[in-house]
Formats: sequence, C-alpha cells, structure tokens
Amino acid sequence: MVKKHASRLYLGLIFLFLYLPIIVLIVLSFNNSRSRVNWGGFTLEWYRKCFESQSIMSAFATTLQITLLAAVISTIIGTLAAIGISAMKRKSQTFYLGATNIPLLNADIVTGISMMLLFVKFMDLGFVTVLIAHITFNIPYVILNVLPKLKQTNPYTYEAALDLGASPLYAFFKVTWPEISSGVFSGFLMAVTMSLDDFSITYFTRGAGVNTLSTMLYAELKKGVKPELYALSTILFFTVLLLLIAANLHPEKTIAVPVKDEKAAKKAHTTYLCRRVASISIVAILLLGTTGVFLSSQHTKGGVRSITVLNYGKYYDEDKLAQFTEETGILVNYEEYEDPEEMYTKYKTGAIDYDVICTSDYIIEKLVSEDELLPMDYASIPNYAGIDPDIIDISASFDPDHCYTVPYFYGTLGILYNTNLVDAADVESWDVLWNGKYANDMIMIASVRDCFTPALRTLGYSINETDPEKLDEALNILLKQSPDVSAFFESETCDEMAAENYALALCYSGEAASAMDLNENLAYSVPIEGSNFWIDSWFIPQTCQDIDAVYEFLNYTCRDDVAMANFEYVYYASPVISVDENMDEELKENESLYRAVHPTEADVANCEVYRLLDDEMTELYNDLWARLKAN
Amino acid sequence: MNKSKKQLLAGPYLIWIIGFILLPLLMIVYYAFTESDGSFTLENITAITSHANFSALLLSLELGVLCTVICLVLAYPLAMILNGMQIKNQSFVVFIFMLPMWMNFMLRLMAWKQLLAKNGVLNVFLSTLGLPNLSIMNTTMAVVLGMVYDFLPFMILPIYNSMGRIRKDWIEAAKDLGANNITIFIKIILPLTLSGVISGIVMVFVPSLTSFAISQILGGGKVLLIGNVIEQDFIHGSQWHAGSGLSIVLMIFVLISMALTGLFGKDEEGGTALW
Repeated sequence: MVKKHASRLYLGLIFLFLYLPIIVLIVLSFNNSRSRVNWGGFTLEWYRKCFESQSIMSAFATTLQITLLAAVISTIIGTLAAIGISAMKRKSQTFYLGATNIPLLNADIVTGISMMLLFVKFMDLGFVTVLIAHITFNIPYVILNVLPKLKQTNPYTYEAALDLGASPLYAFFKVTWPEISSGVFSGFLMAVTMSLDDFSITYFTRGAGVNTLSTMLYAELKKGVKPELYALSTILFFTVLLLLIAANLHPEKTIAVPVKDEKAAKKAHTTYLCRRVASISIVAILLLGTTGVFLSSQHTKGGVRSITVLNYGKYYDEDKLAQFTEETGILVNYEEYEDPEEMYTKYKTGAIDYDVICTSDYIIEKLVSEDELLPMDYASIPNYAGIDPDIIDISASFDPDHCYTVPYFYGTLGILYNTNLVDAADVESWDVLWNGKYANDMIMIASVRDCFTPALRTLGYSINETDPEKLDEALNILLKQSPDVSAFFESETCDEMAAENYALALCYSGEAASAMDLNENLAYSVPIEGSNFWIDSWFIPQTCQDIDAVYEFLNYTCRDDVAMANFEYVYYASPVISVDENMDEELKENESLYRAVHPTEADVANCEVYRLLDDEMTELYNDLWARLKAN
Repeated sequence: MNKSKKQLLAGPYLIWIIGFILLPLLMIVYYAFTESDGSFTLENITAITSHANFSALLLSLELGVLCTVICLVLAYPLAMILNGMQIKNQSFVVFIFMLPMWMNFMLRLMAWKQLLAKNGVLNVFLSTLGLPNLSIMNTTMAVVLGMVYDFLPFMILPIYNSMGRIRKDWIEAAKDLGANNITIFIKIILPLTLSGVISGIVMVFVPSLTSFAISQILGGGKVLLIGNVIEQDFIHGSQWHAGSGLSIVLMIFVLISMALTGLFGKDEEGGTALW
C-alpha cells in the first residue's frame, strides 16, 4: 500500500514537472496584463493578436507545408528504398544502412551546417533547401520502420501471387502492402514529429523570410516574449492533445509505443488500420488544402514584384510593411538579424539576393570600402528631402560623398536603469558597471564593440582604439566585471528591464525608451565619459534585382506617416524632421524619456561614431571577445 | 518483379544519399581542412585546444553527462511504475507523459524562461510562502534544467518500451524459485532493459552535448557550449573554416560517446529501438 502511494506520488511529481510550465503558459495567455506575475483580468486579446500576426501565421503555414511535404516525400522515397534494400545482397545492404545511420546519429547542428555549406555553393537558400534538409533527416526514420516489417513478411506469398498470374503491382498491394502498411504509417508519423520539432537543421538551411515555428520563436525569444506567443502555445497544446486523444480512442496501441503482443494485436490491427489511415489522410488533405489556399491567396495578393529586405530585429512596424504591399503591390520578403556582424555574414554568404539592407555605420563603411554598394539616385526618393541635414552631415563619416545611404534611425549607447533600485547619481559615470555595487543585477550587450565602448571610455581612450595594449587594459576591466554580469543579451533587454528582473543595463537609446514606455520606474542616462553615437542607414547592395521597387520602398519609409509609425514602434530617433515636430507633447516633457528618444546636443557632442576596423583589428576584437566570453 | 528489378526501387534514395548525405559531409571535411585560400591546414582542428574552445567543450561534456544522469534517474523509476500499473488505459497514461514532447521545443523553453526569471512565477510563488528566492536564471543550472525538460521523454520511451517486452511469467517464475525483489531487479529487469537504457542515453546525451539554443535562451549568453561557439563561427563571425573544424571535432566526440555506450550493451534492434 505504501509502495503504491509512493509511486503515485512520484508520478504526480513528474507530471507536475512536465505540466507546470505548460499550465503557466495557458494561464498567462488569458491574462489581461503584459506582466508575467500580476493577474490583470481575463482576456482573449492575445488570441486575436496571435491570429492577426503575419509572422506567426506565416511561420505556422510554412511549418505545416514543410512538415507534410517532407513527410510524404520521405515516406515514398523511404518505403521504396526499404523494399529495394530488402532485396539486396548483404554488402550493398551494409552500405545503405550505414548511410541511413549518418543523419540519425549525427548531431543536428553538424547535419544542418553541412547541408548549408552544400546549398550555399549550388543554390539559393529558401523554402526548397529547408524541405530537402527535412526530407534527408526524415527518410531514415521511414526506412527503419518499414524494413523490420518487410523482414517479417513471407517472400513466398508474394511469389505465389505472381505465379497465380497477379501483376507485380497487384501482388504488391494485395500481399506486401497489408503487411508493411503499419510500418509505413508509423514511419510517416515519426517523420511528421521530427519535422515539426526540428530547430537546428532548419535554422542553418533557411532562407530570407522562410521561418518555421521553431526558428520564428527562436528569433522572437531573443527579442523578449510577446503575450501572443502564450496564446499560440495554448492553441498548439490543445490541438496536439485532441489529436492524441483521437488517436488513442481505439484500443490498439499507438505509434510511438510498439505493440507488445504482436500476434494478438494483429487481428485488431488491420481493421483499425484502414480507419486510421483514412482519418489521417483526411486530416492531411485538409491541411494541405488550407495551406494551398493560403499560398494562392498570397500570390494573388502580391502580384509579381517583390523585394528582399534585410533589417535589424524589431525594427520595422509589421503593419506598415503590409500596408506597403497593399499600396504598391510589391511583396516584401522580410528578413531580420540581431547584430551587424551577423548581417555582414548573411550578405557575404551570397546565399540570398538582398535588394535593400539596413545596418550600422561602420559595417556600411566596410561594405563601401569593398565596393559592394550601388549609388543611390536620390531624385527617385522625393521624401528624402524631409531628412535632417545634420544627420546627413554626420553620416559622412562612413559614406563620405553621401551617395550610398538613406538614414533610418539614430541614437546613443547608454545605461537603462531602474530608479527604485539604482541611485541616479551612480549612472552619471560608467564606473557603475565596474564598481560591483550592482553585481549580479546588470545586463551587458552581446556585441563586442558595444561592450568595449564603456571600458575604453572609462580609460579615456577612443571607442575606435586600435592599440593592442590599450585594448588589453579594457579587456581586463571587462574580465573583472564579468562575474558581476547577469547576462549578455541581444534584444531581450527591453523586455527584461520592463519586467524589473535586473537593476541596470547597457542599452541602446531606443530600446531604453521602449522599456521606459512600458515601465515608468525606468530611466536612461549617457555617462559623462562619453559613449557611442550611431546611425543606422539603408543601402542598396550589388545583389539588388529591382532597384525601382527599392526606391519605392525607401520613399515609402521616409514618408512622414510611415516614419512616425516606425518611430512609435521602435522609439529610436528618426532623421525624418517631421517626426520630432509631430511628437506627442507629453513625450517631449518627460526629460529622461526624451533624452532616450532624441539624443541631446550635449550627448551627441560627447559621443563618437564607430569607425571601420581593418581585418586584423576585427580579428583582434573577435579574439578579445572570445576570451571575455570563455571566462 | 524479380530481385534485381526490386533493387532499383532504392535508386531515388541512392541519389539522395550521394547528394544530400555524403556530399554535405565532404563539404564540411573540405572546409575543416582548408584555409580560406584553399590551402591545406590542420589549424581548424587543433583550434579545439585553445582555452576558449576547450573550456566550451568541457562544459558541454559536463552538462551533457549531468543532464543524461538526471534524465536516467528520473525516467527509470517512472518507466517501471508506468509499466506496472494495473489499469485499462495504460497507453493513454503513457501518452500523458509524452505529450509535452509534441509541443514545439522553443515554446517549452519560453515557459521555463517565464518560470525562472527573477520576478518570475516561481519566485513570486516562493515569496508568498515566505521562502527564499531562487536565482538560477542565466546559469548552467537553468540550462541543465531546460535540457532535462526537453529531453526527458527521449529517455522515458525506450526504457518503457524495453520494460514492456519483459514477460510477466519470467518474473513469476523467478519468484517461484525464491528470488526476492532485489534479485529479480538485478537479474531480470535490469539486463533486459539495458538496451532501452542505452538508447535513452544516446538519445539524450547527443542532443544535450550539441545543443546551442537552450544555452542561448536560458543561459543569458553567459553559458558558452561548443554548439554556441560553432553557431557563432557560422552565423556571426563568417569563420566557416574554423566552425567546420570544430564540427568535425564534435562529430568525433559523438562517435566516441556512441562507441562507449555500445560497449555496455548491444542494441539488437538498431535504430528502431530508439523508439
């Protein structure tokens, strides 16, 4: 009796461990407050937003398409292969089974990378490359499910059928198929499961604008958590639950759990199998149908023209992108990245032909020096006239003749802090990062130059320092600080600071402003030692396919109403003059917030713009970064 | 259809093997042993001995082993209890324990991020009980927790399956012959479930050794595993040759770990036993 209770208790504890996180997600999905811990009343708002979100819905559709196509194709190839392999001599069998084991046993990350290396050489990354990759890792599961079934079949029955005059195809479907169909079916379902849950391989083989749920979520999680995602989790959870309950309604043991008593189950098996195959195919047809409709609707909506845009994450209002397509009929393939080095790698790979890219000053300088940019015809961008001439002047540091770029946003690097936890006097100086007062309560940025900037300025050096000894000094400061740092974030800072999880953060001005907008206890400061002033600009790379469409896009982006909407979306300072003029008065009166959304003249004067580092220096910085991170 | 004609059915798969399994491997080997100008080098492989890379590899091995051990300790008793349950809908109960596996693994990570945050659900709960707060977010502990949560079903399933194959009369026979519970466990249950345990170990250890997303999301960029270094090389650093070199090293470690687990028990059913 005690034993029984003990085991019940153990089951209960594991159950709690497995389901507690899911229950939390479900509860939060109905919470009418962005906060994770306070209950703000019941709402279905996040569900509405989830269904309205273009990125979630298209990732969902892509996931279904990839999963079903990959599962169907790999089931066909795999089943045929299994029949072929079973007829082979031992030697060839060993070769085939050995090759089959490679994707099964290899680490996902290695499989993904190796396929990416191949694709980049021979084709553009996109939907097709993801599909090929998924088929590749699915086939082995099909083969390994079908092959044992084939071994159990009696070869003489098939031959007897042939002797009795059946055609090979007829004999196959009448004799072999009933014996192996359960294996084919479980292979198919396993392929579906693997495809649905894959992240690593998709991550490395995907192209611009192609996101499955996994890769979309990975990008979103790096930017902080949106409540829509709770709603998505809840919907997915209940869908899966219902499907599995449906699959479990008949007494026969289900896919993942092999039948224990083969013989007894076999009888029941065949009858249920027909019903099961029928029901699943209905589901499959339905899903294919809906996704097909989705695809065709996208085509009719878009027309023929399209541009591929590469931009920082969280940097363009999704609705405004949709509006651009509505107004001009030009489809936008929108692709995001987190740090400038990632953008440089993405572009240089050449795996995707980008039409227009937005990135930071010093990377543009690098690309200009490599002659990768097309000169702009500003006459084709009438709204360019509304850009602040001062910002155009400053951008001469990376675009000397000003012929390649259109400024998009600018800002500073500073400290975002929680006024309840941090003394405002402390954040006047970068010392606050090194003196240990806020140990284990601060965030740094996961980017080498932004981490070195405070250290270099504390020492009184330029943020473009190239003297290895001085850089070593800066590294020592950072190494000493490293145990005190809670996390190196890319774009999660806003979300985490708004949730008051940390006291202070090294942060870009607009990210700080967004956080301050969510939580009034936060404030922003640019320390007196000086910092980085940066300008992100659009440029047209050599790979551009449709330059007129790009001009339309840039002109649209510089238009007053669009610039305003994007400003309200990101809270960085916009070079479009009208934005500052039409800004909410309330915002202007809030001194700390206004300092974050619009750098003061004093801050600008006290800051430097990043300059291009040559290859040798870049390598040195990378090396310093590796040493810092390994600590 | 005679045998040689039947063999032709494997043709599409042969093309697939050459094009999408062997060729990519060749590519990664090529990159691993060359410099950017195409000349031969071993530097990308030996780069693993540098302090940064080596400590990342060690940490990955450490966390991988830790995660595997925790999964095994949690899953084995669970599989035994599930297998011994005298209820009609046993397979349904098993499914309840497998269900989280069908939720996207990123969403599962997101859930833990919400739970473990400093002002997260768990700490608010602890505070209301007057208990001290838990601050494991952005540490290796959080990463291990995430791994255990994500990979536990991969340990439960194979062990549960291998237990299902033990026939009740064997155990009854042992009992009739005077064996006590401990002897039965050591002499019958353990040896017969060994293949399941081995499959489980491989299925948990390999992904936890090579994961990079979990450490990125729950480790706050402070927990650097070998997978993170490789990802960094490919996505952020355009250092493909170095990244390929490390991938080859990682492959070798995966092979070694499988050879080691293979020593302890022969897996009769090959890959299917994984499930």
